[in-house]
Amino acid sequence: MRVPENFLYYLSLHRQANERLLSLARDYPAREIELAFQPKQARISKMVFEVMGEVHRMKAFVRLSPLGEHVLYGFLQPRHRIEEHICDHFARRNEGTIVVLGSGSESWVALCRRGGVYRDRGPGLTETVQRLKKVLPDCGEVGEQESNVEELWQVYYDSQYCRERKNVEAFKRYMPRRDQESAGLRLVQGRRETTLDDFLKIK
Amino acid sequence: MVSLEKIAHLADDCRFDSTGPLLASAIDPEKLRRLGEGTRHDVCASTFSPRERPLPGICHAFTQDGRCVSLFKTLYTNHCTHSCSYCTNASGCSRKAKAFSYTPEELARITTSLYRGNYIEGLFLSSGSGRDEESIMENMIEAARLLRERWAFAGYIHLKILPGASEQHIREAMMLADRVSINLEAASASHMSEICATKDYERDIVQRQRYIRDFAAEKRSEDSALPGMGRLLPAGQTTQLVVGAAGESDREILERIVYEYREIGLRRAYYSAFSPQAGTVLEGSIPQPLWRERRLYQMDWLYRVYRFRPEEIGRAFDEAGFLPNSDPKASIARQLLEGPVDPNTAAYTELLRIPGIGPKSAQRIVALRKTRPIASRAELAALGVRIRRATPFLKINGWRDTTLEMWSD
Repeated sequence: MRVPENFLYYLSLHRQANERLLSLARDYPAREIELAFQPKQARISKMVFEVMGEVHRMKAFVRLSPLGEHVLYGFLQPRHRIEEHICDHFARRNEGTIVVLGSGSESWVALCRRGGVYRDRGPGLTETVQRLKKVLPDCGEVGEQESNVEELWQVYYDSQYCRERKNVEAFKRYMPRRDQESAGLRLVQGRRETTLDDFLKIK
Repeated sequence: MVSLEKIAHLADDCRFDSTGPLLASAIDPEKLRRLGEGTRHDVCASTFSPRERPLPGICHAFTQDGRCVSLFKTLYTNHCTHSCSYCTNASGCSRKAKAFSYTPEELARITTSLYRGNYIEGLFLSSGSGRDEESIMENMIEAARLLRERWAFAGYIHLKILPGASEQHIREAMMLADRVSINLEAASASHMSEICATKDYERDIVQRQRYIRDFAAEKRSEDSALPGMGRLLPAGQTTQLVVGAAGESDREILERIVYEYREIGLRRAYYSAFSPQAGTVLEGSIPQPLWRERRLYQMDWLYRVYRFRPEEIGRAFDEAGFLPNSDPKASIARQLLEGPVDPNTAAYTELLRIPGIGPKSAQRIVALRKTRPIASRAELAALGVRIRRATPFLKINGWRDTTLEMWSD
């Protein structure tokens, strides 16, 4: 099944989801949404896939920077309401570490401890990280360790490229610019490998 | 919601052993680059591991060749005494790079730093043989042990078994990794002797694969007596072949792989089209087209996932044993299907043999027709069937579309 049994959860995270749509969707089993012969079902199915797709890509593309031993923070500005879901994912992946995700105006905080997740929601990412610095004074300076790991990654990432397999179109398909921006990635690493021909072909 | 202060207090109470800050200045970027480059022709990038809580397959980045970067894929050392004629680290390579090597702690630190930053899902560790294969294998295992036991690393680990590694080392690696693999590189012992004189195909490679198979079976029977224990090697054993380096045909490659699936219990095989590297013995050889690699994957998929019999997939080869650059499933269907198939009555296995219908769409067809018959091509399209490819082989409501596609590639 491509549509999961709990598709209502994903539907509720869509930026255009509303009570009316959710109550309509409650009448359908997951299988009918998946087959989607009727326009209403097709719309619901499309919305579910949009959210699931963005969730998957944000789990992949968001990068976390360390702030001392206990905090990881990263930029996240998705199109759908998935911030808390993504924050929980990273908290579970890094048990015992506070995960802060957000953008200029909002931030989400989560900590997984003994299987349970503690959450908070606050103002912009910078402000929340500064507040954490005050509460955890030994956590160091913002950006201090970030550049170290980012530099290592960049060297490693470049080492994996095979020129004889060059396929810029596949790269663009798998790493859409829109999702790179939502996750705050430095756009298109390795651009220096592209030529004018690639640019013209992409456009 | 819990206040930020309380969350900070709870985190401060967590006393996990930390790797501490990683200093980039302590890692030589040239070493990172050289040892990373040593694995770029290893095409395995899977991170799915069916543990008790399965690890998902996530691609964290893609390179400009469109390949997924989900693991920290690196060599432990690029020093090697083997003489593989396609490899830039081999002893006979005239443009051999300076030799580098990690320490187990360095490797473990880089891996945890990249994992915590969400750059990777885990570690893929291969190596040259070094001066002494046994000590290199020992260090690779030590790196994995540091990750798992000292820093409670929950990510994915894929360890390469070096040719000729001892049975004891293989067992230790299997206890720590999600997946282990030993590369066949060639389809048979005679092909191997053409590209590498220092490896004994049967003893150094295939016998090691049998050790892996036997130890996995042994542990599985022990674990079934103790329910609740973690599974050994959840992502199984794999292998990789360099396609075309030794002049082998596609039929020879597929015959070897069928043997590997049946007798060795391989989870899956990877194919890497040979491309000549500067300074190697095979520098002047002709590169293999990437489509050859893709067609081999399609054939592998037909055997492993679609459950085609070897005699069925054998129909796709030409007289010399090579695959043409066209869809092998369509070619097999044209030879084997006696007439158009009705999706309302065909068995699941028959549906699978129609181009454009895969296991998922076949399952959906079977599920839907239990409630009502399938009346149109649009319904099949909604079930995930690739209509353009499937239509020449289908009969819906007694009607069939006859098109030239049936007879052309």
